[in-house]
Order: sequence, then structure tokens, then C-alpha cells
Amino acid sequence: MKAVELKQVSFSYDGEKKVLDNVDFFAEYGEITLISGASGQGKSTLSSIICGIIPNVNEGVLNGSVLVDGEEMQGKRLGTICRKVGIVLQNADEQIVHKIVEDEIAFGCENLAFAPDDISSKINEVCKLMNIDPKWKTRSLSGGQKQRLITASTLAMGQKIVILDEPLANLDKEGSELLMSILRSLCEKGYCIIISEHRLDMIMPYADKVWHMEKGKIKQIEDAFSYLSGQSKQIDDVCPRFISKDYAFRLENVGFSVKDRKILDDVTVAIPKSGRVVLLGENGCGKTTLLRLISRLYKPTKGRITQNIDERFGQKNKGSRKWFKSVGIVYQNPDYQLFMPTVRAEIEFGAQSKEYAQCVMERFSLAHLADRHPHSLSEGQKRRVSIAAVLASRPQVLILDEPTVGQDYEGLKSLVDILNSEHIDSGNTMITVTHDVRCAKALCDIAVVIKDGKVASIGGKDKVDEFFSLSKD
Amino acid sequence: MSFFRIKKNVYPLFAIVASIAIIVYALVMAKRASCSYFLIGAYFWIMIFGCFRSCLRMLPIYIIVGGLFSALFYLATGVASSALTMANRFGGIFLAVAIGMSVESVTMTRNLSQLRCPRSVTLGMLIATSFTTVLRTEINRVRESMKTRGAGSILNPKIFYRAFLIPFVTRLVKISDTLALSVETRGFALGKVEYTVYKKENIAFSDILFLVGIIVGGTLAVVL
Repeated sequence: MKAVELKQVSFSYDGEKKVLDNVDFFAEYGEITLISGASGQGKSTLSSIICGIIPNVNEGVLNGSVLVDGEEMQGKRLGTICRKVGIVLQNADEQIVHKIVEDEIAFGCENLAFAPDDISSKINEVCKLMNIDPKWKTRSLSGGQKQRLITASTLAMGQKIVILDEPLANLDKEGSELLMSILRSLCEKGYCIIISEHRLDMIMPYADKVWHMEKGKIKQIEDAFSYLSGQSKQIDDVCPRFISKDYAFRLENVGFSVKDRKILDDVTVAIPKSGRVVLLGENGCGKTTLLRLISRLYKPTKGRITQNIDERFGQKNKGSRKWFKSVGIVYQNPDYQLFMPTVRAEIEFGAQSKEYAQCVMERFSLAHLADRHPHSLSEGQKRRVSIAAVLASRPQVLILDEPTVGQDYEGLKSLVDILNSEHIDSGNTMITVTHDVRCAKALCDIAVVIKDGKVASIGGKDKVDEFFSLSKD
Repeated sequence: MSFFRIKKNVYPLFAIVASIAIIVYALVMAKRASCSYFLIGAYFWIMIFGCFRSCLRMLPIYIIVGGLFSALFYLATGVASSALTMANRFGGIFLAVAIGMSVESVTMTRNLSQLRCPRSVTLGMLIATSFTTVLRTEINRVRESMKTRGAGSILNPKIFYRAFLIPFVTRLVKISDTLALSVETRGFALGKVEYTVYKKENIAFSDILFLVGIIVGGTLAVVL
């Protein structure tokens, strides 16, 4: 029996421009169904229609038939639909209400009026399944654990149809594989799992059916393996072979602790000038902290960091305005860094010249968006603007924290190409944190693997291969 | 026998009543010396009933803030009793806060849900208490981004508006949207909808003793 079936479904937010156009789609019990496609093609809209967010919360013109478990859902309230379909939204961190894991899981069950004894057994069941402890404090969970908690909180409500919107976006390889294997085991118990995701390399071994969305249309992919492997290939590195001459940063026995908790300990590593360094490691191993120490946002609690960018900056670990002009930082979330009224003004802010800002805008394919407000853009576009704005000031050091999150394959390739061509032109030092196997090698001259707050190993591109294959094992 | 069990925390509704009672007593009797005796007694009394940590946490803050205002009033009026009045008023407020701090927001929410308080109020309370951490984190992140992009001083109104307020409000709107959607898709609805409470809060003998102690203490301070 089909768990979900959409027949001739069309949807438009404004009644004119169709986001979905006569879509026919189905998903079955006991299978993982993947919805793939570039950003902005209608994947989230499709998920929202299945789980009733559209038209109950987000309004628009919806036509066609939406069948869930054989029952027509058009005209039903969200409270009814959510008893059949669970959805795990993006950004798990922003959805947690309670302080303790068991309370968070109980929340949905209380809303559906489950008896307290049933809630208790549901909590134990899903915690065991998701490998989390009911007594853990929610604020102290890692990104992967939070994602599993929100998934657990949905599963506890007992729906057999579960939709996950980009569940792997912020997870490392190990966390992604754990989540995917849990979802696989749910399928074996008869669940219907629908996933909308860009990281196809991670989904490939698990997906049973693959659908491709483009311009509001959807089609089932017959040869799923070729389709997925075509979009999971590693991106080629276009940069010439790097030979290290001098260092930009030297870290000697660097440690960083918060209260009694050691986040980094005894980190000794040299970042070569004009080199590209990729920091690899599992969620919560200390990569972002290391980036923040290098960029002088934190001060080490132990050891010494020596910079060799410019004598004017001294060695006191104090980040001045001039320092941040030379050391450009791109955050994981672009929302924080965009504040000017237009894309043009955003990129011109801090740029060497207006001409150079224009050149950067064209390189990033943003010229047609020049007069738009940065916050009105899609997530992928915002990310490009934030990187372009930092690059426009031609920093000597470019620090990138997960720059590829949420990018589709084409977007990822173009971003890597731009970063590398900018590196060739300017000779900047590039330090990147990424979990994405598809682009890690293309952004790497030197790979530093961090484990439990310590440098586990340092090497070249072979280290990237070794890291990802070890994670896979 | 659960009525006579040893409880870690006070029954949430009694905690609210006790907090209000202490504030009222402290404000009404602030000018009397007996008020100070009552507040000292209440301090140790609430410590026994599960508010030990919050009482210890509030003490240094009370000494600084209460001491400062008492000193200011003494300097302004030259009368020792006005300093005592201020110390008593602040004492009452800080004691009430200490009781409030010792009640977990989730137990308070569940207790109010049990009593059929509107769910918009209980969930609102729960989110408001968890939102303080979110706000602090967001403010720090936006300020840090301002620094890294060289936006300038936050004291400049134009920069404050553009580089702080816009990204901050954008983030808050986004977080609120996601949270609202997540809560709704997890079955939360307003109006006459059936729901249950996972862990019910029950009154124990110690809760009654706690509340009676506060009320008797306050009344004695008024009468004697």
C-alpha cells in the first residue's frame, strides 16, 4: 500500500507562479524515498504539502489530491494530519523547547493526549533506537545528538510516515551514517521514510527510490545508482601543486578550556603561508574552536599562537579592526554577517574598490541580484553573498567554517571553483572546516585531522582519503 | 504514602503563592524591625525546602544591590530606618526570586497545565524561559560578526541599527518561525484540544508545611 500519494498536485504561494506544477508522486511503506534536486526547486514545498503545513500554516492555492495512508488530506487540520505524518525540520537546535531529553520527547506525546505510561514506554523505545539518554540535558548535546533528539521526538508520536528535511546538513560522516542506519532499521519495521537532502553521497547506499525535482516538476529516477553517483563525485582540484616556504600561523602546545572542560589540548601545527588547510574531524572535536583561536576570536588558555602575516598585528592574540581586514572569516550561518540594504552595498562594504566589488559580484554570479536586500535571498544565494563580501576586502587569510552546507552539487562545484580561482589570484591562506567528502580534497593542500581536541594526524590530500575511508569503516 | 515523601522541589503553585506572600509582607512591613527577623527566618526556612542553591546564589547579589540602595537612602535621608526599609524591601524581592529560581520551568508548566491553565500561557512561559539562553547566544554571535566584518562601534545609532539590529531581528524571526512550525507539527494546538501531562505534580505534606511556615511567620511578624 502506498503511504503517500500525490495526484496532479499544483501549488502556488501567490496564486500565479506555480511552485509545483501537476506533480504525481508516491512513497511506500518499508522504503526510504529520496527527493533530490537543486535549491529552490520545490522540495520543501512538497514536504510541507504532505505533512499539512501547506495550506494549514503557509497559505497558498493548492489543487489536486493528497492521499496519506489512502485517505484524502485536503481540507484536514494540521492536528489530524500530524497524527499520521511526522516531519523533522531543518535546524534541530532551534526547535528544542525543554531542558531535558525526556521532556522534549514527551512534548509531542502530551499534545496527542497519550497516557503517561505510554509516554514513558515511548520515550524509552525511541531513546534506545536513537542512541540517546533520556536524562541528558538538551543544551549540552552535540549537533548530531540534537538532530537525533528531534527525530526521536517525532518518532515517539507514533506516525509511520516520517519526512526529514535535510537531516544530514550539519552532521559529520559518522553521525550521518548512524542516522541513516537508524532510518534503514525503521524501514525494516514498516515505516515510510521520505528524505529531502543534498548530500547524496551519504544517502546513496540507503535510498530505495529516488525522485528528481526541477522547476516544480518531479520524476522518478529509474537508474538511481548512476544518478546518485553522478552527483556524489569528488570535485577536481584546479590549483597548482603547493610548495610550503613560510608559515602564516604557528601553534605550539595550544590548549583551550571552558571551566574544567578541555576543548583543545596540546595542538601543535604550522599553517603555511598561501596554503590551503582543511580541518577534518567529527562533530564536537574542536575544529571550530581552533578556527576561532587562529582568527583571534578566542584566546588560548594554554600554549602560544604566532602569526607571520604582518608585524603590525603583534603576537598578543588581540583581534583589531585592521586584523579582521586581513583575516576574513566566513561563518556557517550567513544571516549574522549580512547587514547592508543591498547586495551591492554589502559587497562594496570593506571592498578595495567599487570596481573590484563589481568584479567579485560577477565572479559569484550575483550581478543580477545587486539591488536586492541580502536577507530576501535564498539560503544558497545568501551564503554566496557572505563569502563574496568577505573576499571583496581581499583578506590575506580566509577562514571558512562549513562553507558548503545546504549547497546542491552544481552550487558546490561553482563555489569551490570560485574559492580556488580567488586563491590562485590573490595567494591567500585558506583554512576550511568541512564534513563534505565531495569538496574536501579540492580545497586542500594540507589536511589536519583533529580527534578529541588533539591533532591526530597531518598530511596531504591522501589524509582526506584516509579520513573519509576510515570514517566509512 | 507519596503525600509524606521527601520532595526535592516545592509544589510549583505553592512556590508562586509563597513568593507573592513574602513580597507582600516585605513591602507592607518594610519599616518594622520584625520584618527583618521574618525575612531572615524565611531565608533559612526556604533553604530547608529545596531552595538551598538559589538562596546561596542570590545572597551575594542581595548584599551588593540591597546594600547599595540602603546606603544611598541612608546618605540621602540621614536616617537609619530608611536604610532598613530599603534592605527589607529588596530582601523580600530577592527571597521571592530565590524561590522562583528553584522551580523548574517544565514542572511549573506541567502544574499549570494540570490546573487547566490556557496552553498558550504555559507554552509561552516555557519558551520564554528557554529563550534567555538563545537571546544571549544570538547577541554574542551578531556582535562577533560585526567585529569580524569591521562594522564599527555599536554605540553609533546607524551602525547599531544596520549591523546589529537587522541581523539580530532576522535571526530571532527565523528561530521563532522554525520553533512555531516545529511545535505545531508536533501536535500542539490552542483551543479546546485534548492533551495529557506526562509527569503530574502532586502536593506533599512538606509543601503544606512550607507554605504554612511562610504564612505563619509573616502573620507573627505583623501581630508581634
